[in-house]
Amino acid sequence: MGWPSEEHFSDTTKNSVLLRHLRCKLSFSMQQAVAQSSLLADFTTAAIQAVATVQVVDRSPTALRDAILQAVGDASRILYAPPHELPASLFSDFATDPRVVANATPDEMVNTAAGVTEAFAAVASTGSVCIDVSFECTGIVSLMAPLQVAVVAAECIVPQPRDLFRADVLDGRGLKRDFVFVTGPSATADMGPLVRGVHGPHKLHIIVLR
Amino acid sequence: MATLVNPADINPRQVANKSDKKALLDAIRMTLAVQSPAVRRNTQTFNRNRYAATALLPDYNELKDRARQIKESAIANLPELLRQLEASVRANGGHFYLATTAADANQYICDVLLRHEAKLVVKGKSITSEETKLNHALEAAGITVAETDLAEFILQVADEQPSHIIAPALHYSRERITALFKRKFTTDLPLDTGEELTKFAREKLREQFIAADAGISGANLIAADSGSLMLVESEGNIRMTTTLPPLHIAIAGIEKVVPSRTDFGTFIELLPRSGTGQPLTSYVSILHPPLKAPSFAAPGKTAKPREFHMVLIDNGRGRMREDPVLHEALYCIRCSACLNSCANFETVGGHAFGGETYSGGIGGSWEAGTGKLLNARFSELCTGCSRCVPQCPVRIDIPWLNENLRQRMNLEQPASAAKSAFGAMTGSAPEDRVAPLQKQFFANYHVLAKAATRFSPLANAATRLPFARSLMENVVGLDRRRKLPPFPRKTWQQLHRDQQHGDRARMAKSGLPEVLMLADVFTNYGSPERGMAAMRVLREVGLKVELSPSLPDGRAALSQGMIATARQQAHALADMLLPYLQKGAIMCVLEPSVLAMFRSDYEHLLDDPATAERFAHGEFLDPLQVVWSIRKELADGQRSDLAQVFPASRSPHGTRVFYHSHCQQRTCNAAWQTIEILRFCGFDVVTSSVECCGMAGSFGYKREYYELSMAVGEDLFAQVRAAEQEGGPRTLVASGTSCHEQLWAGMGREVLHPVELLVSTLG
Repeated sequence: MGWPSEEHFSDTTKNSVLLRHLRCKLSFSMQQAVAQSSLLADFTTAAIQAVATVQVVDRSPTALRDAILQAVGDASRILYAPPHELPASLFSDFATDPRVVANATPDEMVNTAAGVTEAFAAVASTGSVCIDVSFECTGIVSLMAPLQVAVVAAECIVPQPRDLFRADVLDGRGLKRDFVFVTGPSATADMGPLVRGVHGPHKLHIIVLR
Repeated sequence: MATLVNPADINPRQVANKSDKKALLDAIRMTLAVQSPAVRRNTQTFNRNRYAATALLPDYNELKDRARQIKESAIANLPELLRQLEASVRANGGHFYLATTAADANQYICDVLLRHEAKLVVKGKSITSEETKLNHALEAAGITVAETDLAEFILQVADEQPSHIIAPALHYSRERITALFKRKFTTDLPLDTGEELTKFAREKLREQFIAADAGISGANLIAADSGSLMLVESEGNIRMTTTLPPLHIAIAGIEKVVPSRTDFGTFIELLPRSGTGQPLTSYVSILHPPLKAPSFAAPGKTAKPREFHMVLIDNGRGRMREDPVLHEALYCIRCSACLNSCANFETVGGHAFGGETYSGGIGGSWEAGTGKLLNARFSELCTGCSRCVPQCPVRIDIPWLNENLRQRMNLEQPASAAKSAFGAMTGSAPEDRVAPLQKQFFANYHVLAKAATRFSPLANAATRLPFARSLMENVVGLDRRRKLPPFPRKTWQQLHRDQQHGDRARMAKSGLPEVLMLADVFTNYGSPERGMAAMRVLREVGLKVELSPSLPDGRAALSQGMIATARQQAHALADMLLPYLQKGAIMCVLEPSVLAMFRSDYEHLLDDPATAERFAHGEFLDPLQVVWSIRKELADGQRSDLAQVFPASRSPHGTRVFYHSHCQQRTCNAAWQTIEILRFCGFDVVTSSVECCGMAGSFGYKREYYELSMAVGEDLFAQVRAAEQEGGPRTLVASGTSCHEQLWAGMGREVLHPVELLVSTLG
């Protein structure tokens, strides 16, 4: 109990929030490495709070393949939408796995345990990944399977959702594309208690490339 | 006497339209009996989460200012933006239709669907389509509609209207959903957990998504520069609705248009946090359809090319835009913060505090704007507590909208000789004399209180007579179950004059400004000792205090929608106070509802903006704010600090207290100082966390709202009981007159004002 009187409420939380904000702001101008590690740390914390799982891996075809295959476990089929931002060669090891389907039939699209796409951006304050849905089947692959796997490059993490609507961030890509901020798995509280896994994915696994 | 229908048998649809007052009263009985626990749990969760989520935004206030600016300029430039939007949508390859009425929009959508020979449509949540009753129109045209948002799915199965703008079935507990599904579907599944219910609905709806010929969505925002939509959801059904079928129709009100996609950056931070209290919901789609990716073809079918129609509806919005007051409602981004922070809404939800589509504090303006004025009758449940105001991401003054609706509804009343004579006698402004007797009675309560105080023994004896209470109940609707606080023998002013003649107060410290204490009518005629205690506290810390004449401030009249009367009273009071303000006195106001009047309502009531500005910006303070503001000066005097002036250990009431601050006091940011001071003096303070006690001035006295008022109060009473479970009773302390009466009614014991508690330490 205890009413958070407005001014106090902000007083007590303000310092830590301000610091975090300051760190986010500074990161734009500071050395890349420091900035990114801070954004990555914030992103990971927020994504886990949103009930996603996060894994940071080396930027190599083998490391990426291993990470994805570990995440999908014993799924008998894996939907895959090839990337448009990341080099396709990064996915080359993964794409040769016999379970991977790149051009799924409608039947496969609705009856597959896992879907893998890239994300062209991620958001540190909310733990979101941004999926471009204008290419081929990216939208469907990232939506219909119970497990969603998203692969994002560490340098594409921005501090806040609003940054996707700035012309000077990520070349203004957020202003031009059809995309979805994905924050955790699909969820509802409409049936009483909070349930994760509704129409969309039940689980979200995010792979961040160093 | 007519037999009352069992509240559980009242169907929400039957009482959705509240132009008839009986529907409102039945709806209150029904929701209290059936829906209240689920509504409470869900809205209060949203409410707590919103406080936490917005506190994490370092620039929350700047974002709100920005959002307000964007909406103000968008609504001002709406015709131009609509032209620009039409061009953008067409350039993207989509179709654009601007519908004048609901029927017009429905007809267009039916035509498009019939042209495509669509048989099955999947729908994302769209409250605008509830407003147009689109589903009925589609079904009449032989088209099957599948609501895919699980809340809308429940409502479709139950045939009920939404009870909340973002969680339309939040009045359903899990148990009631199980019962509903078992009744409506043939299934052997137990369906007795949230997971099972979700799985059951998901499987049904997955088939529909795959087979759907078209998808209909709403839109949270639309950008004119690019034809972009922002769609906020968590279930994934809106993504499926907009991605899978080849034909996508988006329906939205014209007020959803903002100039540019860059504006989404402001709203994406505010909307989810203000709504569910999440940093972001699971999915926020930013699309400028038609999508470039191919549509989904069900197994065995061939994919069709995509087609997109944007259908914007006016349906009264153009008229709202021209309305000097209601245009503000068009800024609403439908986040639900005003619903979740409203004590009455938390207790009954939108089936009582709402109409056929829209609900809560903002809902009255929408029902009136898109329908008939009297459909907004449920806005009577807005008590003006103002808790929604700081929560609104676009800073809409929701109580002011509702006070205006009330005024307009008063004006629709027929005039009568009795009302006119009563109004003239009690001081209602001429145009307000058509208002119902009950409203004029509460608006001019100070006149009656003044007379009653003059003859207090007689008045107190009279109000205890059963026939007097029954007369008051029948004539002005004052509920006889409410204990009336006794009228004092002497007013605050009389007590003050007596004291001036008797022993003089301690000498004021030199250098400190003089304090003018406003003799507000509530304290002057209701609790003069409390007023005297406030002056004593100020004198104890070395301030020289004067008491003003006692004039009504307009609060009571404003709350009854008698705006002309409130204006008259505000002007008279401002004229009286201005000389003191100009002298540079500290202006002190004991009653929080009067403080709030100055801070936020006088800008609407006073003609001179410069004077209104002085009233709005902090020149008036709660007495404990005054003490807090000079505590530093106190430290260099002969007594070193507050704890030595008012040591809790000396209070005969003990050190354990339960403090409930007043709703409007919190909105004025004038509550935390009291808590600080009490703790500083050594009191062990537990505070309430309810938004409002439920009394809200006259509201809890009215016969028709007594049960609701007590139901709202129950949350507060439960918090007192919880705080007393460990360590025994606590002294009840509250800052507002109404809160005192409510706590007194609910807990059956004495309630002190913080100044009375402090005075008790003086021995």
